[in-house]
This record gives sequence, C-alpha cells and structure tokens, in this order.
Amino acid sequence: MTGTRLSRRALIAGAGTAALAAPTFAGMGAKLGGMIDLALPGGPSLRPTTPAFPGKGEMIVQRIRPPLLETPMAAFREGIITPNDRMFVRWNWQMPTEVKAADHRVAVGGAVTKAVSLTLDDIASAGETVSVIAVNQCAGNGRGLSQPRVTGTQWGNGAMGCAKWTGVRLKDVLAKAGVAAGARRVRFAGLDVPLTDGAPQFIKSIPLDIAMRDDVLVAWGMNDEPLSILHGFPLRIVVPGWFSTYWVKMLATIEVLSGEDDSYYVADSYRMPAQPITPDAKDFPTVPITTMPPRALITSHEDGDVVKLGKPLVLEGIAFGGDAALDRVDLVGKGWEIPCTLGPDEGGPYAFRRWQVTLPQVAGDFEGIGVRARNVNGAVQPADFAWNPSGYARNVIERITLRAQ
Amino acid sequence: MKRLATIPALALLLAACDTAPAASFKDASLTLPDDPLDLPEGPGRDAVIENCTACHSPSTMLQQPKVSPEKWKSIIGKMKTLYKAPIDDAAVPAIVEYMVHVQSQPEPGA
Repeated sequence: MTGTRLSRRALIAGAGTAALAAPTFAGMGAKLGGMIDLALPGGPSLRPTTPAFPGKGEMIVQRIRPPLLETPMAAFREGIITPNDRMFVRWNWQMPTEVKAADHRVAVGGAVTKAVSLTLDDIASAGETVSVIAVNQCAGNGRGLSQPRVTGTQWGNGAMGCAKWTGVRLKDVLAKAGVAAGARRVRFAGLDVPLTDGAPQFIKSIPLDIAMRDDVLVAWGMNDEPLSILHGFPLRIVVPGWFSTYWVKMLATIEVLSGEDDSYYVADSYRMPAQPITPDAKDFPTVPITTMPPRALITSHEDGDVVKLGKPLVLEGIAFGGDAALDRVDLVGKGWEIPCTLGPDEGGPYAFRRWQVTLPQVAGDFEGIGVRARNVNGAVQPADFAWNPSGYARNVIERITLRAQ
Repeated sequence: MKRLATIPALALLLAACDTAPAASFKDASLTLPDDPLDLPEGPGRDAVIENCTACHSPSTMLQQPKVSPEKWKSIIGKMKTLYKAPIDDAAVPAIVEYMVHVQSQPEPGA
C-alpha cells in the first residue's frame, strides 16, 4: 500500500521533478530529495523535501534561512519518539552556525539576589540530571490548513514531535542566582538575534510558578544525544505541555521579571482571540498562547486512500493530551463514534501515545472520518474549526475520506 | 499524604541513568544548504531581491497562500515598521506586483 500511496500522493522523485518544472523550480532537481503535497486548501501545496541539512533526514522545506523544516507524517507511523533526524526545526531569527562550548555563558539576572554568569559545566552541575518525555509542538502547527487561509509559515501538521529531553531543572539554575521576593515571571533569550537594529529580539517568558515546576528543564540532551545547532545547542528550555514557542533555544539569558512582560513576542505576538471570532473581526481582546490542547492524528492512512471492501480495516495513529495526560481517543464519523484502544503509556502524560481501532468489515466508503482525543482534564478536540488570524493552536478533528474497493 | 502527592511528579521524571547523555559539551557548527527554490522571472523580481531576500529565502515567499495586493502592502509595512527592514518606499509597488504575479501562476508540479 505504501508504494501506491507515495506515487499517487505526489511524493515525486527528484529526477521526475524537472519534467514538471515551471520556472520556479527550474534547475532545482539536483538539489532536492523530492516533493510532498501538504494538502493545503487552495495551495500552493507542494513543498520540496531535502536531506541536505546536517543531522537531518528527509525534511519538508518551509524555509532555508532561518530554517523552518517540517516533519513528514510518515515519521509518526511508528513508536512514540520522533527521531532527532526527523524532528521539526523552527527558528524566528537567524541563529549562529557555530557555538564554542567553552565560551558559552548563561547570564541569570533581573529580580535575583545575585546576578551570575554560568558556564555549561556550571549549568550541568546545578542540580540532579533529569529527563522528561514530552511533545514539542509549534504554536502554528497546522496553520496552512486554516480556512480562510492566513499568512505565516504554512505548516501542515508536522511542526511537532516527541522526544526525551535531558537536563537540569530550571529552578536549580535559578537557585544559583536566587529568585528575589516579588518575582513574577522568568524570561529567556537565545543567541538568535534580528538582522536589523530595533527589531524585536525573540524573547519569551513564563510565569514563575511554571518556571519552578519539577519538570521544566534547562536541557542539553535530546533522545540521548547532545542538542544539535538546529535544535538549540548547547541548551534549550523545555516546558512540557506548553507550545514550543516557550522552549527557547541556544539559551543565553535568563531574566527574572518582577512585573508583566511587555516584550513583543509575549505582549503583541503569539496571541489568540480571547473569545471565538469571525475572519472579519477587528480589535478583539487577545490572550497569550500557552498550554497545548489535545490532538490525535491518523498515521496509517491518508486522505483518499483505498481500502478493501468486505475486509477488516485497522486504523492506527498517535495522540497526546496536551497539558494533561491523554484520557481517550474515539474514531468519529458522521453520526457515529467508536472508541479506540490506547497503546501502552510509554512516555508519561506529555508524550505521544499510540491508538488503534479495528473495524470488522469495510461496507463502503468512509467519508470524513477522524480521531478525537480527550485529556484527563476533560478537554476534547472540537468538531468545528475555531479560526484565528494567526492560525495558532489548531486542534480541530482532522478528517480524511477512505474509498472502498 | 505529602509523600503521595509527590509521586506523580516523580513518575514522569526518569532519574538520570546510564543512557542519559553525559553533560560534556563539544563545540558545534553547521553549514546551511542552499535554498532549493529560486525566484521565478516576473515583474518586480529585482525589487524583491534587493529588498526582501536578505531575510527571506525564496521558499517561504513562494509558499504563502494567495492574498490581495492590499494584504501584501500591509505585510511590507509591517516588515518596515516592526522589523525595521530597510525597504525602499519606491520599491513597494514593484514588490507587491511581483508577489501578486507569482501567486497568479499555476503551481509547479500541480
């Protein structure tokens, strides 16, 4: 089945691309691994894929500089861990392409007892080394599927992945400086900076109570390997259950704030309408994107796949609970739903978990079926898409149609 | 009671074991590949190259959904006012024309 799908789903071999090429793609065949169709409504929907980034396998190219690389859905077909060479890559500003470990420092300052400048060894010895398995998902994952479409990085659903993150607790690093009375938030900055003077630096902050959680890390390890440059060498913040915009990479500064954060990427960007709006709405109140809602995806089949009439059908996929453990996954169609069987809890509450459901006999086409996740807090994926102007936090039930033959 | 309350937190943190990476930090470097996409010919291409490509590789520009000329003008305005992009005001109409032009072309490979 896989071979059929690949040819039909426009995963076109690089050599074949040249024959189809319009001027945009002229001469790029040699540089490319292939093309993939993200099924973005209204297009453009085809994206080049490349294995050319060091340490990465075949990735969907959304942008070269600064890199935006999407994970092909095929990478989610097995297991709960996304391999490092398939994890999505997202940078707001250009990052340095070389970092000297011995020269790197993390400044801890602001509302602290004593500002300090820490070496990597200082960080590594700040406390117990701990690991957490957690989904890392871009706030804009699935933006390209918004209808009406919105501008920004046109991600399909591959701006996410699940990894084992290893480091020390942020609170142990903060203890090296001592959090002062009246502290409210903790802000992070990395080595990625704007090219132009006066443009906002990509800095993000989290409330102090989140910063002090036992599972919020200053991490150097990703799936038992050191972080690569693309994933934030030497250190990145890990906030399980929160969108990855807060997981600041190439960590260089930790700033304790005694008030609210009025910086651009917290006060003006990465925000959602406080209440549902329509696409023509103007001047509505907004709230920051913070925790992730639950999601589930079918990974065994794609939209338009053909299934065998009269035979049993096994559907499989991944799900996660967002900021709380996954509770259940249901397969939903028009007017019916069937509970799915969850795979073993291998990674804890913030990890991917596999699900499966067997339909005893295919009696006809499956029109617009999807899977719906619910977490233990009762948050459940909505049937209707809640449009927002930046395409954030998509978690509508993703539906596909299967043809019976 | 107090002990019990700490169990969920402990359960999700696997204490460091022999599989965890040693915290020994080696220098890291990276060479980025070239963009697989080139900007196609079209009216205003030079203005786009002069004013946009320092920050935007062609892939991201060519992959945006179709929007109106007014929307492109407002996006260019945001690049100037918020991100301090040194864009020549006289080039804005040409940039808009180019983006509208490339979006009116059939999708390659489609």
